[in-house]
Amino acid sequence: MTSRRDANDEDDGYDDIPLHHQRPFGTGLHKKPIAFVSASSLSTVTQPPSSAASSQPAGASVADLYLSMVLPDDAAAAASAPRSASAPPSTAPAADPTSTTIPSEPTPSAATATTTSVPSQPCPVCSLPLPPSHDPAALAAHNTSLAHQLCLPYSPPPSALDRTRMGLTYLSAHGWDPDARRGLGAEEQGIQFPLKPRVREERLGLGAPAPARRPGEKGKDGEEASKKGRLLDAKKVRKMAAEDRKRREELREELFGDGKLEKYLGVGRAAQSAPPPGPRAAERRRGLGT
Amino acid sequence: MADSTKTLKRSSTERGGSQDTKRPRTDDNGVDAMAAKANPYLAHLNQEDSDGPASHSFKSPLDRMERHNTTADQALKAEDSDTNPWTGRPHSQQYYRILKTRRDLPVSKQRQEFLDMYHSAQILVFVGETGSGKTTQIPQYVLYDELPHLTGKLIACTQPRRVAAMSVAQRVADELDVTLGEEVGYSIRFENRTGPKTLLKYMTDGQLLREAMHDHDMSRYGCIILDEAHERTLATDILMALLKQIAERRKDLKIIVMSATLDAQKFQTYFNNAPLLAVPGRTHPVEIFYTPEPERDYVEAAVRTVLQIHASEPEGDILLFLTGEEEIEDACRRISLEVDEMIRESDAGPMAVYPLYGTLPPHQQQRIFDKAPEPFRKGGRPGRKCIVATNIAETSLTIDGIVYVVDPGFSKQKIYNPRTRVESLLVSPISKASAQQRAGRAGRTRPGKCFRLYTESAFKKELIEQTYPEILRSNLANTVLELKKLGVEDLVHFDLMDPPAPETMMRALEELNYLACLDDDGELTTLGSLASEFPLDPALAVMLISSPEFYCSNEMLSITSLLSVPQIWVRPNNARKRADEMKQQFAHPDGDHLTLLNAYHAFKAAEQRGEDLKKWCHEHFLSYRHLSSADNVRAQLKRIMETHGIELVSTPFQNKEYYVNIRRALLAGFFMQVAMRESANSKVYKTVKDDQLVMIHPSTVLTAAYDWVVYNEFVLTTKQYVRTVTNIRPEWLLEIAPHYYDLDTFEKGEIKSALTRITEKVRRRQAMKGGK
Repeated sequence: MTSRRDANDEDDGYDDIPLHHQRPFGTGLHKKPIAFVSASSLSTVTQPPSSAASSQPAGASVADLYLSMVLPDDAAAAASAPRSASAPPSTAPAADPTSTTIPSEPTPSAATATTTSVPSQPCPVCSLPLPPSHDPAALAAHNTSLAHQLCLPYSPPPSALDRTRMGLTYLSAHGWDPDARRGLGAEEQGIQFPLKPRVREERLGLGAPAPARRPGEKGKDGEEASKKGRLLDAKKVRKMAAEDRKRREELREELFGDGKLEKYLGVGRAAQSAPPPGPRAAERRRGLGT
Repeated sequence: MADSTKTLKRSSTERGGSQDTKRPRTDDNGVDAMAAKANPYLAHLNQEDSDGPASHSFKSPLDRMERHNTTADQALKAEDSDTNPWTGRPHSQQYYRILKTRRDLPVSKQRQEFLDMYHSAQILVFVGETGSGKTTQIPQYVLYDELPHLTGKLIACTQPRRVAAMSVAQRVADELDVTLGEEVGYSIRFENRTGPKTLLKYMTDGQLLREAMHDHDMSRYGCIILDEAHERTLATDILMALLKQIAERRKDLKIIVMSATLDAQKFQTYFNNAPLLAVPGRTHPVEIFYTPEPERDYVEAAVRTVLQIHASEPEGDILLFLTGEEEIEDACRRISLEVDEMIRESDAGPMAVYPLYGTLPPHQQQRIFDKAPEPFRKGGRPGRKCIVATNIAETSLTIDGIVYVVDPGFSKQKIYNPRTRVESLLVSPISKASAQQRAGRAGRTRPGKCFRLYTESAFKKELIEQTYPEILRSNLANTVLELKKLGVEDLVHFDLMDPPAPETMMRALEELNYLACLDDDGELTTLGSLASEFPLDPALAVMLISSPEFYCSNEMLSITSLLSVPQIWVRPNNARKRADEMKQQFAHPDGDHLTLLNAYHAFKAAEQRGEDLKKWCHEHFLSYRHLSSADNVRAQLKRIMETHGIELVSTPFQNKEYYVNIRRALLAGFFMQVAMRESANSKVYKTVKDDQLVMIHPSTVLTAAYDWVVYNEFVLTTKQYVRTVTNIRPEWLLEIAPHYYDLDTFEKGEIKSALTRITEKVRRRQAMKGGK
């Protein structure tokens, strides 16, 4: 079963990034690990995924689709070749009736070679063959594989409500689950979150643009703030002017400092003979504000 | 309540008995007696026996009618008869005059259809636009079918607004030619005008809910009509859920849900596909206009639009929708000024401008029905009236003659944020349904025009389809307490039409838990059960119940009443300074609650001296109307306190602790509404646990900046304010509400460290005392 892991090694880059960055995804998984791994009630659990398989591509095909998109044709072939050589997963189609949807183009020859070694028990989630249950490491690898993760139903992050609140205790006692994303009511059909109050600028008409609020606010709302602003201006104005000058000087230095531009524009010679760049350069100089 | 039901039943049986004994006698007298009855000149002979309560000696047209099997014809005949079937007295002239106009109402044509549906279904949804006559007529149609005098089961019709319940009850009493308070009555919070004879009762939805707390099956009623259900008030929503349950248990109870808007399918599906009857309103087409660009200032735009209409549109009255009292008064003033100028400059017609909002005194509200002014001279340009209203004028009021509607697209809406525990009234965009309703007001008498002060794309993009029902926008502490008292065990699966957000429900449960109205498992405590007896917010009720412990229940009773009515301070625009000076006379340095109490005491003292109270109030810039209603509320609350054995105590006024006790008693209910000053020189306060930065509302009398204050309400405008504020000492918090100010559960912050310091100080002081 280490071979299964090898197959994934190749995809390590793809495996890790989403798991690390999508925290909620990871948390959700952490919350309900057993529900997905339990293989004992296989017959009952397989039903939903098989129906899902028809509507959405199963694990392997997602991976293949992704590869075919990311890698050019020849590279894909090259990539699939070593994979098929070492990886039993793609052999599943031959043994597993549910996985007929998986395109069988990659390596039919390798498939036949490895079928015998694989006890073809499909994973109820991604319908890829499972590693034997006595190998927890392989199982874990399977469960964290991209294909398996993509096939998991999306489990939203748990609610941020404080679990010690008396109100929550009451609601949970009457069968409301804070993580189920349901509201109250006979069919728990109510709204999930309270309405948000939105304070409007006084007397601003309906549909008037939001940025128009800023000057209004200065006028009515924060008179002190605008006064303060003006005071600061008086103090800072010199400093700001100095900074401004410094910045412009730097820019000028950059543009004209090494003399290359002047050389390029042909100052000196061109000053008399070539009128078009002349005024432009002068303009630029004026614009940059000496 | 149970008593009155009994007496009612008894009186009806008496009536039945007397009929039996008297009828044979009339038969004995034979034809002569019958002739005498019909002879109007001998009417005085009948007078005697039609006076008493057992007055059904005449052959009542109702006798031939079979309950739940009547026809419109039978009812019409009964209405047309000379004697009033409900009182036994002859009908007055006015009765016939009104009857004629009643028969012209749109609902009148569908009376039989209504009855057929009413007979076949337990729950019925009725849709009729404003002005169709549903509020006044349908209950009467039901009355002639339920025949409640036979069963003793009343008919109730709920209204979202107190004023509506009162005025509609008066109107229907006139229409039935009976005295208000007898056969037809009303019941609103703090006022009950019903009697043992009452058959039809108008009431606020909140009032019916309160009654249900003691009568879980609403067994007094044979039919319950929920009017204006489209407004989706909190109480109506709860009632709908309750009635849906009760209807399962009581198959004899009939329910009618009446709505003014056509989105009634929602009601239908909610009530398990109840049948629907719709009465078309009398409407004319309304042309709708939008602005090409969004407006910078909608009030100014509205004023300009009104003037434009006045200058260039043909005859017809104007209805302008604005959001609040201040805005409306401002607009009224500006419009009047401008119109005066237009009259001088360009010979425009006269225009009468009337404000209309909830807190306006009733006689001023009545003025909107005045006729538009006459032109200045014969053949001159027509006069018109302009009504500047809040959204009361949207559905519940019918004003004829409106041809032009100006709609800026806003209304004040309550919204509650359970995360910060702030309930505020915010100017918010209306819904599309509201906008259509507003436009519809222009087409009541003839084709009209609606001017919307926003762009068409704003209408499409910015407006939501339906206004959110109140239950999604409110603090539910009171509601949860009521539901608990109503015996609702599972609040999670309670079948509401629009269940509130879980967080809002959690907050309400927690608040009640802190107030000790609910225990940790969410079960009603004794205190909670007692608190629910008061028609008050739980915090106020708990404050009142625990006030005897602070030896000031009389005072807390006064303060509670004053907090339950609108602001008693009057501050007219042209005399702000003088009003403020007058208020200073009553000011107590420790806070606004105490200032309120001072004003009330002064009011009562003036009453004792026998002064003209109206004049006195006017001179002191106090609202006579609100002070006297506070007085009334006080009397009602006092009665409740007495029946539940809550002592009424006071310390002598000279007592040093008099005001301290009151301030401490405030905390017993309002310990969750406390704010601490941010830093020594700051004007900014931070609310405890919710960490909201607030300022004290400029209307306060507090001059010194105290470190700790308790506040009555949170006002959210462009800034956050707390209003009605009183200075407190932090030690009291730890002493009065130790479970809420438990430092172990407090989040780290300035407030926690301040409280820790205080705890230390208290401990040290006690240690020193112990040492000595």
